[in-house]
Amino acid sequence: MERARVSFTFDGRRVEGVDGEPVAVSLLAAGRRTLSRSFRFHRPRGLMCSTGQCGWCECEVDGRPSVRTCRLPVREGMVVRGEHAWPSVERDLLRVLDLGSRFVPPTFYHHRFLRPRALRKWYLDVIRWFGGRGRLGDGSSVGRVARRVLQDAPDVLVVGGGAGGLSAAIAAAEGGARVLVVEAEAAPARAGGAGGAGGAGDGDGELLALARAALGVEVRFGTVATGWYGAMVTAVDGETIWEIRPRAIVAAMGTYELVPAVPGSDRPGVIGARLAGRLLTEHRVLPGERAVLVGDGVELTAVGAALREAGAAVAGPIPTTALQEVGGRGAVAWVKYIGDDGAARRESADIVVFGDRTPNLDLVLAAGGRVGWVDARLAAQTDPDGRTSVSGLFVVGDTASRGPEAAAEAGRRAGRAAAEFARLASGAQEQIDRGRPSAEAATRATRTGDPARSPTDGQPPKHGSPHAVLCFCEDVRGWEIQAERTAGYQDPELVKRRTGALTGPCQGKYCLSAVTCAFNDGNVATPSTGDVLLPTGRPPLRPLRLGDLVVEDPA
Amino acid sequence: MTRGALAAFLARTDMPVTAEVVIVGGGIGGLAIARELLAQGMRDLVIVERGYPGSGATGRNVARIRAMQLTEALTHVARACQDKYDRMGDELDFNVLFYRLGYAWVLYEAEELERMRDIVAMHHRIGVRSALLSPDDTLRRLPVLRGGDPVVGAVLNDDAIVHHDAVVWAHLEHLARRPVRLLAGTTVRAIEVGDHGVEAVETDRGRIETRTVVNAAGGWSGELNSLARVVAPNRPLRREVLVTAPLRRSIDAAITFYRPTEGWFNQTLRGEVVMGVVDPDEPNGIDQSSSAAFLRRTASLVTRKAPALADATVIRQWAGMYDVSPDHLPLVGPTRQLDGWWQANGWSGRGMLLAPYLAELLATRMTTGASPSRLEMFDPDRFDPAAKAAGHEQDYYARYAAR
Repeated sequence: MERARVSFTFDGRRVEGVDGEPVAVSLLAAGRRTLSRSFRFHRPRGLMCSTGQCGWCECEVDGRPSVRTCRLPVREGMVVRGEHAWPSVERDLLRVLDLGSRFVPPTFYHHRFLRPRALRKWYLDVIRWFGGRGRLGDGSSVGRVARRVLQDAPDVLVVGGGAGGLSAAIAAAEGGARVLVVEAEAAPARAGGAGGAGGAGDGDGELLALARAALGVEVRFGTVATGWYGAMVTAVDGETIWEIRPRAIVAAMGTYELVPAVPGSDRPGVIGARLAGRLLTEHRVLPGERAVLVGDGVELTAVGAALREAGAAVAGPIPTTALQEVGGRGAVAWVKYIGDDGAARRESADIVVFGDRTPNLDLVLAAGGRVGWVDARLAAQTDPDGRTSVSGLFVVGDTASRGPEAAAEAGRRAGRAAAEFARLASGAQEQIDRGRPSAEAATRATRTGDPARSPTDGQPPKHGSPHAVLCFCEDVRGWEIQAERTAGYQDPELVKRRTGALTGPCQGKYCLSAVTCAFNDGNVATPSTGDVLLPTGRPPLRPLRLGDLVVEDPA
Repeated sequence: MTRGALAAFLARTDMPVTAEVVIVGGGIGGLAIARELLAQGMRDLVIVERGYPGSGATGRNVARIRAMQLTEALTHVARACQDKYDRMGDELDFNVLFYRLGYAWVLYEAEELERMRDIVAMHHRIGVRSALLSPDDTLRRLPVLRGGDPVVGAVLNDDAIVHHDAVVWAHLEHLARRPVRLLAGTTVRAIEVGDHGVEAVETDRGRIETRTVVNAAGGWSGELNSLARVVAPNRPLRREVLVTAPLRRSIDAAITFYRPTEGWFNQTLRGEVVMGVVDPDEPNGIDQSSSAAFLRRTASLVTRKAPALADATVIRQWAGMYDVSPDHLPLVGPTRQLDGWWQANGWSGRGMLLAPYLAELLATRMTTGASPSRLEMFDPDRFDPAAKAAGHEQDYYARYAAR
């Protein structure tokens, strides 16, 4: 069925889209690839992840600041504006800042702007003018509806309704537990990324039907887990703030895109394989004419075929470690990589599709669980049943890349173990860790792995070029992190504070792996145990609009 | 500065056997005291810090440097403290981003107006140029409050903010070249006391002989005092903060309101909005965990005052410790309970503001024996031994404003 065309404006120019598709998809289909500008150096950014997590697609929409347009359905007459750019995100003149960026480390102000004294305030006024992003409206259009707060105390809480999460829920319910599943996606078909209920992992919705009808599992779609507060998990949906105190928790939260750590990999046109697939199958949008595939994963293989079928020229896949640079003036124009014969190659391209993904550690880190390098990915340290170092917290790990069968098997094991834990908890023999009581100690990750707990190979990936932007929110490059360590700031908390890495609006979701490599490269590892260190995880798990946290009686 | 000196200073792990002074706490208090003792010619200092420098309240506060206070005595001191920060960039050759953002008490109850008239008159006597604004002027100067709870007025002046981390780094670079040693990641286990007072500090990494200890441990000062069997009435109290994604310049003052519940918000130079609403029932005790209730309370009350902020997104929250004394004033000076034991704690939420200047006075007292008159009101022994620790049961604003 043809859906209606709608028209809206972006930076003052008219754009047409298909009613109900995400704003960012309409813009891409209309050839508008640059959606935002980075905070420090005004580097162009475009649609990359399509899950509302990376923040590269943030625009002002109808007067509301910094809305992630990859998940916002387009409507007739919308007024969309690029932020943090002048006169427009496409032609942002402030991009000149990027040309001089090598001379502007995050510490550049430390010994500057003091003299002459009379100009001191003015300097900071200017710095303040360069800061900021979204424009705050006048409050007249703002929604501020009080929500109710409801409590729940299931035996087992499963966070994530993909194949792994639903399998865990089924196994836990079969073990006699009362199970609640919360899934951020409102539509079952989108749950669990590649392998969700009704998706590839649960083709005809069998898992969901079994869980709900036969076993009485409560599955709440459109409910986002927002925090770990001691042994309590909070979640929000359209009208409710949930406080959930389960006896055991299974985190089956999937993966994030792992952007290649090479110069230029943040350009518009570098997109995750999952997004590329959705653009082709759901939205009938061909993201580019000449694609280079990078990395691996089942989604990448499928997308490569789909792109060819749609008429695009496709090169690769090339290994992520062979990728050298993504170039262009603004959006992607060419890719430099090392060929099989060891010679450097340059391939012209308008999109780079990468397949690498990295486990979602949001809940594990918030709970203070141990993480380590597994197959060059930062992952929770677990036993084969998904048991983490935090008592009562189980993880269904990175299952997307291993296919729906592996996800289901990992889910079943974790679900059974969680049900057993919940049973002991009801007899007060066990309880969920409250996590770090003081939130004082940095999270420790084991570099070498603990063979008794986990089949970890313990090797971090190469973190790529020092000239690559590693933290995209704050434009922190590898060499800047190295410079802080050379200067003597070895503690990851201090490096975080000095560079701003991990502190931006994506909350570290898209730079944790690369930044952790840079933090820990060499002598950051504490000598006694070989542990590597991460800064303390801070709630909430996702950016939350203040207006969505309003309650009638806050006391 | 030469970078090698700083790296060596920060990485140093060998334990000294003796020290002239051991300062416990590597936050703004400890660092500033070290700086001032060195300036007065002392050498051979050791700072013992359990985490990393600035890892306690110093790295968790929002660094409002305001002269405008509720009492005359404190306003006098706070002005000197603000001047100290104004000079810090020159003195330490490091830009700590001292910025006169402006500061406002926003008033919601008519009875507050009367109280504030007296306080503004007091400010003017001292030379603090605060102004009492009408409701219309308040909304003109602070448009973010439009559409919110009706205001009855505001007290506004040109107070400042600084960058708390930059203040720490400025001190570290300064200290790195001087005869002081920083022992980060080191915990004090015991205090050895003899007939003539303090004899040594026992840490988890070794013992340091010293005759002089400064307790600059912030929220943990009580724990440290008890190791030396020194009694002080301060109590730790949790305070929480949240920060939003950066927004363009839209709030031209650091805002505080006391009624009906105490809360505050302001924009940083980068545009993030930091904010918090106090839980009047917060229990005493060390607890640096964040709470879900804080997010709801702050979102609910701040968006009632400033509805436009409903569109701001919170990206991070954290908690830190106040070290609260019965009169909400710090304890700075020697205690008669134990020779060689010096207090520099009980900051009651004003450590960032007060510590650099009071460290200067304390250092004078420690090196010359003469007590600067401004230090008298902070005498650690001023409390009745039976004095109850201040905390949640006392309304900070009411007890101040009532004087």
